[in-house]
Amino acid sequence: MAALGKPLLLVVLLAVAAVHQVGAFSEETPTDQRILVLLDDFGIKATHSMYFKSLTDRGYDLHFKLADDASLALQKYGAYLYDALIFFAPTFDVLGGSLDVAVILDFIDSGHDVVLAAEGGASDVVRDIATECGVDLEEEENAVVVDHVNHSSLDADHTIVAASDLIQSKAILGPKTIEAPVLFRGLGMSVNPSNELVVKVLTAPPTTFSSSPSAKVAKVPTAHGRNLVLVAALQARNHARVLVSGSLDLFSDKFFLASVEKKTPGAAPTNFEKSGNEQFAVEATKWTLHERGHLRATNVRHHKVDEVAEGAVYRIRDEVEYSLDIQEWDGAKWVPYHADDVQLQFFLMSPYVRKALTSNKKGHFSTTFQIPDVYGVFQFKVDYHRLGYTDLNLAKQIPVRPFKHNEYERFIGAAYPYYSSAFSLLFAFVIFGVVFLYNK
Amino acid sequence: MAGPLHDLKAVIGTFSTEYGKTPLRLKLIDLYILYALSTALIQFVYLGLVGSFPFNSFLAGFLSSIGTAVLAVCLRMQVNKDNKEFKDVPPERAFADWVVANIVLHLVVVNYIG
Repeated sequence: MAALGKPLLLVVLLAVAAVHQVGAFSEETPTDQRILVLLDDFGIKATHSMYFKSLTDRGYDLHFKLADDASLALQKYGAYLYDALIFFAPTFDVLGGSLDVAVILDFIDSGHDVVLAAEGGASDVVRDIATECGVDLEEEENAVVVDHVNHSSLDADHTIVAASDLIQSKAILGPKTIEAPVLFRGLGMSVNPSNELVVKVLTAPPTTFSSSPSAKVAKVPTAHGRNLVLVAALQARNHARVLVSGSLDLFSDKFFLASVEKKTPGAAPTNFEKSGNEQFAVEATKWTLHERGHLRATNVRHHKVDEVAEGAVYRIRDEVEYSLDIQEWDGAKWVPYHADDVQLQFFLMSPYVRKALTSNKKGHFSTTFQIPDVYGVFQFKVDYHRLGYTDLNLAKQIPVRPFKHNEYERFIGAAYPYYSSAFSLLFAFVIFGVVFLYNK
Repeated sequence: MAGPLHDLKAVIGTFSTEYGKTPLRLKLIDLYILYALSTALIQFVYLGLVGSFPFNSFLAGFLSSIGTAVLAVCLRMQVNKDNKEFKDVPPERAFADWVVANIVLHLVVVNYIG
C-alpha cells in the first residue's frame, strides 16, 4: 500500500492540474491569463517592447511564437491552451501548426479575446479574420492611409496619420481623456453601419484617404475621412472582444515615444511631446482583455415588500420589490458598479411597468412598484446595453393571479344607501306587521 | 285659465274629504307604502348621481322597496272590506300570506345585495 503512495499522489496532482483548465475570461476564474502572441519575426518583440511590457506588468503570461511555427496549437485534447491571442503577424499567408482562419474564429466563438493588427500588404488570413469580425480592410493592392494635412513628420511620404477622433467611451478608452493624437500607419477599414456589435474606436481625420502613395489619385476614393476607420472593436454576443487595428506600428515603441503635432483648423497647431499611442494601445487592450467594462449581475431577487422570501405567485396590485447586484471586473477583483440608468421592465407582451433601479453606490440596485391590474405570467426583465460594457439580459418569470373571491372588500362604500334602505325596509316590515296585528 | 286649475282644486278637495272616511288600518298601510316608495325614489336618484357601480346592490335595494310596496298594496286590497273581489278571503289569511311573501322577498334581497 505504501508503494502506491507516491504514484497516487502524482496522479491526483495531474488530475487537479488537468481540471484547472485554461479558459476564456470566465467569471469563475478571471485572473492569470495566458496570451499567445503570434509574430512575423522576433524583431517585433523588441520594437514593440513597451506594449508587451505593459501586459507582463499586469500579470499576463505571454508566449511569443512565430506565425509559421509548426508546433502552434490553440487547443489540446479539447481544452484551450491560451486565454487570448495577440495576432501581430500580418504578412504570413499560411499559419503553422494547426492554426488557420477557422481555428482562430472558433477561438473567438468560444469566448476568447483577440487583438489583431494589420499593415500594408496584409495577408488573406488577417483579412478573413477581420471580415468575419465585421470589419473590412482596405482591399486595393498597395493602398494605405494617406493624409497630407494631419500627418506626422516621421515619414516623408505622409503615410503616418495623426488621428484624434476617438470613440467617446470611458469603458473602452479609460477614464483619462487621450489628449495627444494617435499615430497610425497602415490599412484603413470600413465598418457596416448596421452592424450593432462593432464600434469605431479610432476614426480617421476628415483629410485622410486610402490610396497607394506612389499612384496618382484619379477619382475621389470611396473610403475617406469619417468613413475610414483606423481601429475597430467587436464585442460579440458571447462577450468575446476583438480589437482590429489597421496598423501594427500603432503599437510600436517608435510611435509610443514620438512627438506629434495636432492641427486644429483656424488655430495654431499644438505640439505634444509624446503621442497618445501608448495610452490608447494600453487602454484599448485593457478593455479587450476584459479588465474594464465586464459586468455581471448576481443575487437577483424579488419579493413582496413586507416579506423576505421570494414568492412563487404574486397577486394583482401587490407591492413588489426587485433587487440585484451588479459588479464590474477591474482587472483584479469585482468592484461594485454604479449607474443611474439600469431599468427594470415588468413585461407580459409589452412592458407594463418600466422603472429605473436606484443604486446604493455599493453595487446593489433595487426598486419597488405596484403590480398592475393585469393577471398573467410576467417577467422581470433587465436589458442593459451600454457602449463598451457587456450586455446584461436578465429575465425572471413570475405568475400574477387575480383576486380570490374573499380578497375583495366586504362592503362597498358606494352601496351603503342600498344596504341601509334594504335593512330599513326589513325592520319596517317587522314593525308594521306587529302594528297591523295588534290594531283593531 | 281658470278652468283646469279650478278643476284640479275641486278634485283635490273631493279626494281629501273622501280619503278622510277610510278606516285607520288602511291609512296605516298607505303610510307604509309611501315610505317604501320614497326609499325607492331616493335610491333611484342616488343611482342617477353616482352611477350603477355595484349594480347588484342597487337592484336588491330597489326591488326590496318596490317589492315591499307591491306586497303592501296586495294586503290592502285583500283587507279592504269594500272590495268585492276578495270578500271570501279572511283578513287573517291575507296577513299570513303577506308575512310569508315578505320573508321570501327579504331573504332574496339580503342574499343578492352582496
